[in-house]
Amino acid sequence: MSEVLPLAVSFDAFTSLGFWTSVGIFAGTFTIFTLGLQLNVGFTGIFNFGQAAFMAIGAYGMAILVTDTGLSFWVALPLAILLAMGFGLIVGLPSVRLRADYLAITTIAASEAVRLVALNARDLTNGAQGIFGFDDSWDSVSDGIEEALVSLGWSDPETLFPLFLVVWAVAILLMFVLTRVQRTPWGRVLRAVREDEDAARALGKNAFSYKLQSLVIAAALGAIAGFFLAINLSFVVPDEFAPTFTFLGYSALVLGGLASYWGVAVGAIILQTVLEGLRFLELPISEVKVAALRFIILGLVLILLMAFRPQGMFGKREEMVIGD
Amino acid sequence: MTEAAATAPAPAPSGGNGKAIFEADRVVKQFGGIRAVDGATMSVGEGSITALIGPNGAGKTTFFNVITGFYKPNGGVATFAGQSVLGRPPYVLARLGMVRTFQITKALAGMPVIDNMMLAGPDQPGEHLGNVVFRPRAVRRREREVREQAMELLEVFNLTKLADEYAGTLSGGQRKLLELARALMARPRFLLLDEPMAGINPTLGRRLLDHMQRLRSEEGVTFLFVEHDMEVVMGHSDRVIVMAQGRVIADGLPDEVRKDQGVIDAYLGGA
Repeated sequence: MSEVLPLAVSFDAFTSLGFWTSVGIFAGTFTIFTLGLQLNVGFTGIFNFGQAAFMAIGAYGMAILVTDTGLSFWVALPLAILLAMGFGLIVGLPSVRLRADYLAITTIAASEAVRLVALNARDLTNGAQGIFGFDDSWDSVSDGIEEALVSLGWSDPETLFPLFLVVWAVAILLMFVLTRVQRTPWGRVLRAVREDEDAARALGKNAFSYKLQSLVIAAALGAIAGFFLAINLSFVVPDEFAPTFTFLGYSALVLGGLASYWGVAVGAIILQTVLEGLRFLELPISEVKVAALRFIILGLVLILLMAFRPQGMFGKREEMVIGD
Repeated sequence: MTEAAATAPAPAPSGGNGKAIFEADRVVKQFGGIRAVDGATMSVGEGSITALIGPNGAGKTTFFNVITGFYKPNGGVATFAGQSVLGRPPYVLARLGMVRTFQITKALAGMPVIDNMMLAGPDQPGEHLGNVVFRPRAVRRREREVREQAMELLEVFNLTKLADEYAGTLSGGQRKLLELARALMARPRFLLLDEPMAGINPTLGRRLLDHMQRLRSEEGVTFLFVEHDMEVVMGHSDRVIVMAQGRVIADGLPDEVRKDQGVIDAYLGGA
């Protein structure tokens, strides 16, 4: 095929179920991660740029608890969520009062601090080598789902398909719950804080407390995304949790649109399809250049979006917090 | 407190039932070297409509911000219904019944008018996540009550048709009305209005004033409002407090204040 024309582009990958399963898992993980950003940015108006840190604490917390203390995977998960929420509280208490831009800087710094600790506290985190062997419990669940798929008539299911199912089941459940909660009086106060903190305070709302709650819940969502990332890769390394991950989360957020939890899923799917899908494009240029090209294309998409549909695909123009 | 009352006696509040609902004693707010509020002392009678006037830069809005908790005071005492209020956060004061509006309206633009209104309804258990999960029926019941009250108030302010519009689409005057209606949703006992008439047409203004009178007589709400329109001030307030350079320079019935030489020099001029 490729010898016919030097400029031929192969789309083989796009018809493979394995490819889409893999993209789907990343997109689902990314959706859960970005739901936290949506809660913070789209519904509370606080600019959390440290979401990757919460994801790191979730992933590392779970991996360390399982491998070091021998705790059950299923006990480690809620504990790791609590750890991430506790860290959210510690970061939020002094910083959530700050103006938007200062909060962004503080949370980026907190995020980098977590990553650098993960890189250097080798006794705890195994440094750059990362942690393996925490996901046996998951494997047995995965096998169980695979057997069920076989008994449903799929003779040779994709190895990662069970993870795909579980990621998206969790993501959809979270989107559903968050959308419901957003319609409650609690969610109304969050939006009021987003619109005008002083007005909310003048009407008897403790804006500080709501911003903190928002950040802590985002931390929990970050931790859950961290579990799926760790399970998907089977290891946890510091590099996974660079601030870039958070920035890409913002790209998905803007693509999908602010103030819509379902938009987050759409944004995450588009983003991951562009990023991962283009990786498999066989272009007559070096792989390094293809890797760079992905981000050029992503940038172009974002620019076009800002020009023609600034509220994103599902965002409400009336509820935009950026750009007015 | 007793000492303060002895050294700086505020004149007995007139209007309303003669008891003071709010008292401020030598309140100070400094920005660097500038004393924007420089020992302001006043008392507001329960059930009164009290106007706060003074030239630009007299410290009226700063005074509002200090007594409603938006600025930290540098000194002084203030009590509302017998409780010390100075230095407490705005949301606590609002829950006590001291509710304010802003000079530049703070309509929550990205929320529908009805949500603006319902937000302000007090005692909504659903503002706590725990209750959202565990007491959904209590939350829904309160929502129904709050929605009903909100619709009644929107009716009063002729905003019913705009209930589902985003507040950002409202005109300046409509936003003023919305802000007042919203403040009323919070069930205030003491309403502090910063230039409620600014930027609204005379018809709407008259409706707003009528409504203030009615709230005062029917529900005993006390008003303190900053206003520059002297016709409104003299015609609709029981009592006028005049500030200049961060202090209260006069305090009395509209007719007394109008004739006060100090006030004429500082503010009213030849008008």
